[in-house]
Amino acid sequence: MVPWLAGIVPFGLVIGVSAAQADIPAMAGWLTGPLIYAGSSQVATIGMLDAGAAPVIVVASALIINIRLIFYSATMARYWRGTPWWWRLAAAYLIVDPSVAVGLDGYQRLSRDRAHAHYFGGAVLLWVCWLAAIGAGATVGAGLPAWLHLEFVMPLYLVGAVVPKVTSPAQRRAILAAATVALLALSAPLQLGIALAIAAGVIAGLTAEPRR
Amino acid sequence: MSTWIVIVAVGLGSYLFRLSMVILTGRITMPAYLERASGLVAPAAFAALAAAGVAEACGGHGLTQAAAPLIAVAAAVIAVLRTGSPQAAILAGLPALWVATALLPS
Repeated sequence: MVPWLAGIVPFGLVIGVSAAQADIPAMAGWLTGPLIYAGSSQVATIGMLDAGAAPVIVVASALIINIRLIFYSATMARYWRGTPWWWRLAAAYLIVDPSVAVGLDGYQRLSRDRAHAHYFGGAVLLWVCWLAAIGAGATVGAGLPAWLHLEFVMPLYLVGAVVPKVTSPAQRRAILAAATVALLALSAPLQLGIALAIAAGVIAGLTAEPRR
Repeated sequence: MSTWIVIVAVGLGSYLFRLSMVILTGRITMPAYLERASGLVAPAAFAALAAAGVAEACGGHGLTQAAAPLIAVAAAVIAVLRTGSPQAAILAGLPALWVATALLPS
Protein backbone atom coordinates (compact mmCIF):
# COMPACT_ATOMS: atom_id res chain seq x y z
CA MET A 1 0.00 0.00 0.00
CA VAL A 2 2.88 2.39 0.77
CA PRO A 3 4.04 2.83 -2.86
CA TRP A 4 0.43 3.57 -3.81
CA LEU A 5 0.16 6.20 -1.06
CA ALA A 6 3.30 7.90 -2.38
CA GLY A 7 1.52 8.20 -5.72
CA ILE A 8 -1.95 9.22 -4.58
CA VAL A 9 -1.06 11.76 -1.88
CA PRO A 10 0.44 14.24 -4.40
CA PHE A 11 -2.60 13.68 -6.66
CA GLY A 12 -4.93 14.41 -3.72
CA LEU A 13 -2.97 17.56 -2.87
CA VAL A 14 -3.21 18.74 -6.48
CA ILE A 15 -6.97 18.09 -6.57
CA GLY A 16 -7.34 20.07 -3.34
CA VAL A 17 -5.32 22.97 -4.72
CA SER A 18 -7.28 23.01 -8.00
CA ALA A 19 -10.59 22.83 -6.11
CA ALA A 20 -9.53 25.85 -4.04
CA GLN A 21 -8.71 27.79 -7.24
CA ALA A 22 -11.94 26.74 -8.99
CA ASP A 23 -15.12 28.77 -9.00
CA ILE A 24 -17.06 26.33 -6.77
CA PRO A 25 -17.72 26.31 -2.99
CA ALA A 26 -14.66 25.05 -1.07
CA MET A 27 -16.73 22.38 0.69
CA ALA A 28 -18.07 21.11 -2.65
CA GLY A 29 -14.54 20.60 -3.92
CA TRP A 30 -13.56 18.58 -0.87
CA LEU A 31 -16.79 16.58 -0.94
CA THR A 32 -15.86 15.17 -4.34
CA GLY A 33 -13.41 13.08 -2.24
CA PRO A 34 -15.85 11.08 -0.10
CA LEU A 35 -18.70 11.20 -2.64
CA ILE A 36 -17.01 10.44 -5.97
CA TYR A 37 -13.80 8.93 -4.55
CA ALA A 38 -11.99 8.48 -7.88
CA GLY A 39 -9.31 11.03 -8.73
CA SER A 40 -9.65 11.33 -12.50
CA SER A 41 -13.42 11.70 -12.26
CA GLN A 42 -13.03 14.29 -9.49
CA VAL A 43 -10.64 16.28 -11.69
CA ALA A 44 -13.12 16.26 -14.57
CA THR A 45 -16.03 17.23 -12.30
CA ILE A 46 -14.18 20.13 -10.65
CA GLY A 47 -12.66 21.33 -13.94
CA MET A 48 -15.91 21.24 -15.90
CA LEU A 49 -17.95 22.86 -13.11
CA ASP A 50 -15.30 25.59 -12.93
CA ALA A 51 -15.56 26.12 -16.69
CA GLY A 52 -19.34 26.47 -16.44
CA ALA A 53 -20.30 23.27 -18.25
CA ALA A 54 -23.93 22.16 -18.29
CA PRO A 55 -24.70 19.86 -15.31
CA VAL A 56 -25.82 16.95 -17.52
CA ILE A 57 -22.57 17.08 -19.50
CA VAL A 58 -20.48 17.10 -16.32
CA VAL A 59 -22.31 14.12 -14.84
CA ALA A 60 -22.12 12.15 -18.10
CA SER A 61 -18.41 12.84 -18.60
CA ALA A 62 -17.49 12.03 -15.00
CA LEU A 63 -19.46 8.78 -15.09
CA ILE A 64 -17.94 7.73 -18.42
CA ILE A 65 -14.52 8.12 -16.79
CA ASN A 66 -15.71 5.85 -13.96
CA ILE A 67 -17.04 3.01 -16.13
CA ARG A 68 -13.87 1.12 -15.24
CA LEU A 69 -15.29 0.76 -11.72
CA ILE A 70 -17.80 -1.75 -13.15
CA PHE A 71 -14.87 -3.95 -14.21
CA TYR A 72 -13.26 -3.60 -10.79
CA SER A 73 -16.61 -4.52 -9.27
CA ALA A 74 -16.73 -7.67 -11.41
CA THR A 75 -13.14 -8.48 -10.46
CA MET A 76 -13.76 -8.24 -6.71
CA ALA A 77 -17.23 -9.83 -6.80
CA ARG A 78 -15.87 -13.34 -7.25
CA TYR A 79 -13.87 -13.04 -4.00
CA TRP A 80 -16.73 -11.52 -2.04
CA ARG A 81 -19.34 -14.23 -2.48
CA GLY A 82 -20.68 -15.37 0.89
CA THR A 83 -19.64 -12.25 2.78
CA PRO A 84 -22.32 -10.36 4.78
CA TRP A 85 -24.30 -7.83 2.71
CA TRP A 86 -23.22 -4.89 4.91
CA TRP A 87 -19.59 -5.87 4.34
CA ARG A 88 -20.12 -5.88 0.58
CA LEU A 89 -21.85 -2.48 0.67
CA ALA A 90 -18.89 -0.96 2.52
CA ALA A 91 -16.20 -2.84 0.58
CA ALA A 92 -17.76 -1.81 -2.75
CA TYR A 93 -17.71 1.85 -1.73
CA LEU A 94 -13.93 1.59 -1.26
CA ILE A 95 -13.32 0.15 -4.77
CA VAL A 96 -10.83 2.31 -6.68
CA ASP A 97 -7.66 1.62 -8.70
CA PRO A 98 -5.12 1.27 -5.82
CA SER A 99 -7.44 -0.61 -3.42
CA VAL A 100 -8.30 -3.17 -6.12
CA ALA A 101 -4.62 -3.68 -6.94
CA VAL A 102 -3.70 -4.17 -3.28
CA GLY A 103 -6.80 -6.30 -2.65
CA LEU A 104 -6.11 -8.64 -5.57
CA ASP A 105 -2.56 -9.11 -4.33
CA GLY A 106 -3.97 -10.23 -0.98
CA TYR A 107 -6.53 -12.62 -2.49
CA GLN A 108 -3.76 -14.31 -4.46
CA ARG A 109 -1.41 -14.72 -1.46
CA LEU A 110 -3.49 -15.02 1.72
CA SER A 111 -6.32 -17.11 3.13
CA ARG A 112 -9.78 -15.75 2.31
CA ASP A 113 -10.40 -14.25 5.77
CA ARG A 114 -6.99 -12.60 6.00
CA ALA A 115 -7.34 -11.32 2.44
CA HIS A 116 -10.65 -9.65 3.31
CA ALA A 117 -8.92 -7.88 6.21
CA HIS A 118 -5.98 -7.03 3.93
CA TYR A 119 -8.30 -5.40 1.39
CA PHE A 120 -10.37 -3.54 3.95
CA GLY A 121 -7.40 -2.30 5.98
CA GLY A 122 -5.54 -1.08 2.92
CA ALA A 123 -8.66 0.49 1.41
CA VAL A 124 -9.56 2.39 4.61
CA LEU A 125 -5.99 3.64 4.97
CA LEU A 126 -6.10 4.82 1.35
CA TRP A 127 -9.46 6.54 1.93
CA VAL A 128 -8.19 8.43 5.00
CA CYS A 129 -4.99 9.56 3.27
CA TRP A 130 -6.91 10.61 0.13
CA LEU A 131 -9.38 12.81 2.02
CA ALA A 132 -6.60 14.27 4.19
CA ALA A 133 -4.51 15.11 1.11
CA ILE A 134 -7.42 16.86 -0.63
CA GLY A 135 -8.22 18.80 2.55
CA ALA A 136 -4.57 19.82 2.98
CA GLY A 137 -4.32 20.88 -0.67
CA ALA A 138 -7.52 22.91 -0.47
CA THR A 139 -6.44 24.64 2.76
CA VAL A 140 -2.94 25.50 1.53
CA GLY A 141 -4.08 26.31 -2.01
CA ALA A 142 -6.62 28.87 -0.87
CA GLY A 143 -4.06 30.94 1.04
CA LEU A 144 -1.21 31.17 -1.46
CA PRO A 145 -0.49 34.24 -3.65
CA ALA A 146 -1.72 34.50 -7.25
CA TRP A 147 1.77 34.77 -8.79
CA LEU A 148 2.36 31.11 -7.92
CA HIS A 149 -0.20 30.27 -10.67
CA LEU A 150 -1.49 27.27 -8.75
CA GLU A 151 -4.34 27.00 -11.27
CA PHE A 152 -1.66 25.56 -13.57
CA VAL A 153 -0.71 22.75 -11.19
CA MET A 154 -3.50 20.47 -12.44
CA PRO A 155 -2.69 20.80 -16.18
CA LEU A 156 0.96 20.09 -15.33
CA TYR A 157 0.01 17.08 -13.23
CA LEU A 158 -2.08 15.73 -16.10
CA VAL A 159 0.80 16.27 -18.53
CA GLY A 160 3.00 14.25 -16.18
CA ALA A 161 0.42 11.47 -16.00
CA VAL A 162 -0.08 11.33 -19.78
CA VAL A 163 3.50 11.58 -21.11
CA PRO A 164 4.70 8.14 -19.85
CA LYS A 165 1.66 6.50 -21.47
CA VAL A 166 2.61 7.47 -25.04
CA THR A 167 4.77 4.32 -25.29
CA SER A 168 1.61 2.22 -25.78
CA PRO A 169 0.24 2.60 -29.35
CA ALA A 170 -3.42 2.47 -28.31
CA GLN A 171 -2.96 4.97 -25.49
CA ARG A 172 -0.81 7.22 -27.71
CA ARG A 173 -3.62 7.41 -30.27
CA ALA A 174 -6.18 8.04 -27.55
CA ILE A 175 -4.07 10.83 -26.03
CA LEU A 176 -3.32 12.59 -29.34
CA ALA A 177 -6.91 12.38 -30.57
CA ALA A 178 -8.36 13.56 -27.26
CA ALA A 179 -5.95 16.51 -26.95
CA THR A 180 -6.57 17.55 -30.57
CA VAL A 181 -10.36 17.42 -30.29
CA ALA A 182 -10.24 19.23 -26.94
CA LEU A 183 -8.31 22.10 -28.57
CA LEU A 184 -10.55 22.20 -31.67
CA ALA A 185 -13.70 22.13 -29.55
CA LEU A 186 -12.57 24.76 -27.02
CA SER A 187 -15.46 27.06 -27.84
CA ALA A 188 -18.05 24.28 -28.17
CA PRO A 189 -21.30 25.10 -26.34
CA LEU A 190 -21.95 23.71 -22.84
CA GLN A 191 -18.27 22.75 -22.54
CA LEU A 192 -19.14 19.74 -24.64
CA GLY A 193 -15.53 19.71 -25.89
CA ILE A 194 -14.15 17.54 -23.08
CA ALA A 195 -16.86 14.89 -23.55
CA LEU A 196 -16.31 14.89 -27.33
CA ALA A 197 -12.56 14.67 -26.81
CA ILE A 198 -12.85 11.66 -24.49
CA ALA A 199 -15.10 9.89 -27.01
CA ALA A 200 -12.70 10.68 -29.88
CA GLY A 201 -9.75 9.47 -27.81
CA VAL A 202 -11.36 6.15 -26.93
CA ILE A 203 -12.45 5.51 -30.53
CA ALA A 204 -8.98 6.39 -31.85
CA GLY A 205 -7.39 4.10 -29.25
CA LEU A 206 -9.66 1.20 -30.17
CA THR A 207 -8.53 1.44 -33.80
CA ALA A 208 -4.97 0.56 -32.73
CA GLU A 209 -3.93 -3.10 -32.91
CA PRO A 210 -5.14 -4.93 -29.81
CA ARG A 211 -2.28 -6.00 -27.57
CA ARG A 212 -1.89 -9.73 -27.08
CA MET B 1 -27.04 24.69 -6.21
CA SER B 2 -26.42 22.69 -9.38
CA THR B 3 -22.80 22.22 -8.26
CA TRP B 4 -23.96 20.14 -5.29
CA ILE B 5 -26.46 18.17 -7.37
CA VAL B 6 -23.77 17.35 -9.94
CA ILE B 7 -21.33 16.12 -7.29
CA VAL B 8 -23.96 14.03 -5.52
CA ALA B 9 -25.17 12.58 -8.86
CA VAL B 10 -21.65 11.62 -9.95
CA GLY B 11 -21.02 10.15 -6.49
CA LEU B 12 -24.22 8.13 -6.52
CA GLY B 13 -23.61 6.87 -10.07
CA SER B 14 -20.04 5.91 -9.19
CA TYR B 15 -21.22 3.97 -6.14
CA LEU B 16 -23.76 2.08 -8.27
CA PHE B 17 -20.94 1.19 -10.71
CA ARG B 18 -18.86 -0.12 -7.79
CA LEU B 19 -21.74 -2.12 -6.39
CA SER B 20 -23.15 -3.35 -9.71
CA MET B 21 -21.17 -6.52 -10.31
CA VAL B 22 -20.87 -7.33 -6.62
CA ILE B 23 -24.68 -7.58 -6.60
CA LEU B 24 -25.16 -9.07 -10.09
CA THR B 25 -22.18 -11.37 -9.81
CA GLY B 26 -22.12 -14.17 -12.34
CA ARG B 27 -25.28 -13.06 -14.12
CA ILE B 28 -23.68 -10.67 -16.63
CA THR B 29 -20.46 -10.92 -18.61
CA MET B 30 -18.89 -7.74 -19.93
CA PRO B 31 -17.86 -7.63 -23.60
CA ALA B 32 -14.10 -7.54 -24.18
CA TYR B 33 -14.11 -4.42 -26.35
CA LEU B 34 -15.76 -2.50 -23.50
CA GLU B 35 -12.95 -3.57 -21.20
CA ARG B 36 -10.36 -2.29 -23.73
CA ALA B 37 -12.31 0.95 -24.11
CA SER B 38 -12.47 1.51 -20.37
CA GLY B 39 -8.68 1.36 -20.18
CA LEU B 40 -8.47 4.19 -22.71
CA VAL B 41 -10.93 6.55 -21.03
CA ALA B 42 -8.58 7.84 -18.31
CA PRO B 43 -5.66 8.69 -20.65
CA ALA B 44 -8.08 10.35 -23.10
CA ALA B 45 -9.74 12.35 -20.32
CA PHE B 46 -6.40 13.41 -18.86
CA ALA B 47 -5.12 14.50 -22.28
CA ALA B 48 -8.31 16.44 -23.03
CA LEU B 49 -8.35 18.17 -19.63
CA ALA B 50 -4.63 18.98 -19.89
CA ALA B 51 -5.01 20.46 -23.39
CA ALA B 52 -8.03 22.53 -22.35
CA GLY B 53 -6.26 23.70 -19.18
CA VAL B 54 -3.14 24.78 -21.06
CA ALA B 55 -5.22 26.55 -23.72
CA GLU B 56 -7.15 28.38 -21.02
CA ALA B 57 -3.91 29.50 -19.38
CA CYS B 58 -2.65 30.81 -22.74
CA GLY B 59 -5.84 32.74 -23.48
CA GLY B 60 -6.61 36.20 -22.18
CA HIS B 61 -2.98 37.33 -22.26
CA GLY B 62 -0.82 39.11 -24.81
CA LEU B 63 0.98 37.04 -27.41
CA THR B 64 4.27 36.92 -25.50
CA GLN B 65 2.66 36.13 -22.14
CA ALA B 66 0.71 33.30 -23.77
CA ALA B 67 4.06 31.64 -24.45
CA ALA B 68 4.74 31.19 -20.72
CA PRO B 69 2.36 28.23 -20.18
CA LEU B 70 3.70 26.59 -23.35
CA ILE B 71 7.27 26.96 -22.09
CA ALA B 72 6.17 25.44 -18.77
CA VAL B 73 4.54 22.47 -20.53
CA ALA B 74 7.67 21.94 -22.64
CA ALA B 75 9.79 21.94 -19.47
CA ALA B 76 7.36 19.48 -17.86
CA VAL B 77 7.41 17.07 -20.82
CA ILE B 78 11.22 17.13 -20.99
CA ALA B 79 11.49 16.56 -17.23
CA VAL B 80 9.10 13.59 -17.31
CA LEU B 81 10.89 12.01 -20.29
CA ARG B 82 14.27 12.51 -18.62
CA THR B 83 13.37 11.26 -15.14
CA GLY B 84 10.54 8.86 -15.96
CA SER B 85 8.65 10.31 -12.98
CA PRO B 86 5.20 11.90 -13.48
CA GLN B 87 5.80 14.16 -10.46
CA ALA B 88 8.66 15.86 -12.32
CA ALA B 89 6.07 17.65 -14.46
CA ILE B 90 5.03 19.96 -11.60
CA LEU B 91 8.52 20.24 -10.11
CA ALA B 92 9.95 21.45 -13.44
CA GLY B 93 6.89 23.05 -15.03
CA LEU B 94 5.80 25.38 -12.23
CA PRO B 95 9.20 27.08 -11.72
CA ALA B 96 9.51 27.33 -15.54
CA LEU B 97 6.14 29.11 -15.59
CA TRP B 98 7.25 31.57 -12.88
CA VAL B 99 10.51 32.37 -14.67
CA ALA B 100 8.85 32.69 -18.09
CA THR B 101 6.07 34.90 -16.74
CA ALA B 102 8.62 37.16 -15.02
CA LEU B 103 10.96 37.43 -18.02
CA LEU B 104 8.54 37.70 -20.93
CA PRO B 105 7.35 41.27 -21.69
CA SER B 106 3.62 41.73 -21.15
